[in-house]
Amino acid sequence: MKIFKVALGILAAIGGFVDIGDLVFNVAAGATFGYQLLWVVVIGVVGIIVYSEMCGRVAAVSGKAVFDAVRERVGFKAGLGALVSAQVVNLMTLAAEIGGLAICLQLLSGLPYPLLILIAGAGLLVVVWFVAFEWVERIFGYGGLCMLVFAVAAVKLHPAWGAVGHGFVPHMETQSPVLYAYFAVGLLGAAMTPYEVYFYSSGGVEERWGPKDLGLYKVNAMIGYGLGGFLSFALMIVGGALFLGQGIEPEFLGTIALGAEVPLGQIGLLLGLVGILFAVSGAAIDTLFSGAYNLAQFLGWEWGRYRHPRGAPKFTVTWLVLLVLALGVVMSGVDPVQLTEYAVIFSAVALPLTYIPIFLVANDRTYMREYTNGPIANAVGIVYLVVIMVIAVSAVPLMILTNVGQN
Amino acid sequence: MGGKRVILVRNRKPTDRVPGVVLAFLVLALAGCNGGTVDRHALKRDAENVASLASEGGLLADDVSRGRSTRYFVRVHAKELSSKASNLQDALAERPTSPGITSDVRKLSKLAGKVSRELERLHLHPTDRGVAVSLKQPLSDDADAADKLAK
Repeated sequence: MKIFKVALGILAAIGGFVDIGDLVFNVAAGATFGYQLLWVVVIGVVGIIVYSEMCGRVAAVSGKAVFDAVRERVGFKAGLGALVSAQVVNLMTLAAEIGGLAICLQLLSGLPYPLLILIAGAGLLVVVWFVAFEWVERIFGYGGLCMLVFAVAAVKLHPAWGAVGHGFVPHMETQSPVLYAYFAVGLLGAAMTPYEVYFYSSGGVEERWGPKDLGLYKVNAMIGYGLGGFLSFALMIVGGALFLGQGIEPEFLGTIALGAEVPLGQIGLLLGLVGILFAVSGAAIDTLFSGAYNLAQFLGWEWGRYRHPRGAPKFTVTWLVLLVLALGVVMSGVDPVQLTEYAVIFSAVALPLTYIPIFLVANDRTYMREYTNGPIANAVGIVYLVVIMVIAVSAVPLMILTNVGQN
Repeated sequence: MGGKRVILVRNRKPTDRVPGVVLAFLVLALAGCNGGTVDRHALKRDAENVASLASEGGLLADDVSRGRSTRYFVRVHAKELSSKASNLQDALAERPTSPGITSDVRKLSKLAGKVSRELERLHLHPTDRGVAVSLKQPLSDDADAADKLAK
């Protein structure tokens, strides 16, 4: 029974790994640099596994989610800075996911985009309000597994497997090193996007993980995120095998779906679109809750996705307000794909504000007792903090220098 | 003037510097935007954009011609591509150009317009295999022509 539960969790994690940021950056990176940046995805996936394990352990041992610990450990002022940046990035990501959801619905139904934004918003509201959270997780996680069609498409496109293998070794064969660096930063930002750890650790607190469950959830995170990274590889390979040779720059979600249609026909297209639909819907729900978790934990309100909305009214009002704000952003006519690029780059800037406090708390004996980081977790954690600092500092200059990846 | 400037700088509080930083950011950002004079670099970038739209339209038309796509997907996606090409056409027709490249810029503008119209046909006839077949070669030729202008 336990193995069955783990298997279900892993399946949901695979399906839930990819969001609109991963979709956009992986396919665009493949279309621009072929398979050269596959190694960056590996670094990003290992990073999210390391820090998810850390904040899952903090949640299980101390019973505190990320922003609970941030407020206590770094103080109100620094914590407020982290909160504001996290909320801005969350809102941008949420708006991008909702826009992506509406575009997917439009590609499937042909209905007008503004109407579909409203339908997407209403659908999310109904699902979050009425559907039990275990089911939300399962429905969107398993639905997201349709994205595996991109793995089949990648194989059917007959990429040069030698070049694919070479892509896992860091190297750079380009006359545009700045653009290469921009995509590397974007891929890392997309893989390690902060809302994932807010959501993961808050879930751990709500599900009352204890120290005895640590092994189980460690395995779950490692296999789930690891196999989720496999989808990112597939997307980049599709970009490299199909779009690079034809000089196609993927600027629309439809282009990504075309990546499944060309090798697999209608069935590929439909599975691709349904997979994207579930993936971005699941990510929209995660970001919606993450925003509400962050504020509620920081201000000490009652919170919880397993509670009935009336049981945690301020938490409920927060996610409702976030949903309305995000709908307003999308309705203003902003392009969701462009918004995604900005959201990913700004999330890269905000990464240290999330990951440094997690690292500090995971090393604090008053919280963690005998479960503080071991030498390996500390060594890897510090290496990632350096990586995170570098990408945080370079993200905006690279965005400007490359005109958001256009040059 | 010089003394006055010194006094102004000395009297600045840290917060007074914010507009300057914002301005510098905006200038840098606008420098990379699609407005302003079309120079060789911008011409190359826009030509690659047009080639990309034509190539993607060609892939879509090929799938339609073999019955491998769906009505709504083709209708919506062809419209997206067509609108982007149309925007490029307008921008390239109106913007001032660097000396010596005006003819290529206007040629690219016309090409973008042609690609836009071809994609519009695909948008209007998303399941018509005959229309799709008739568009494959022109879109492929357009992509080649745009590639030449990019070089």
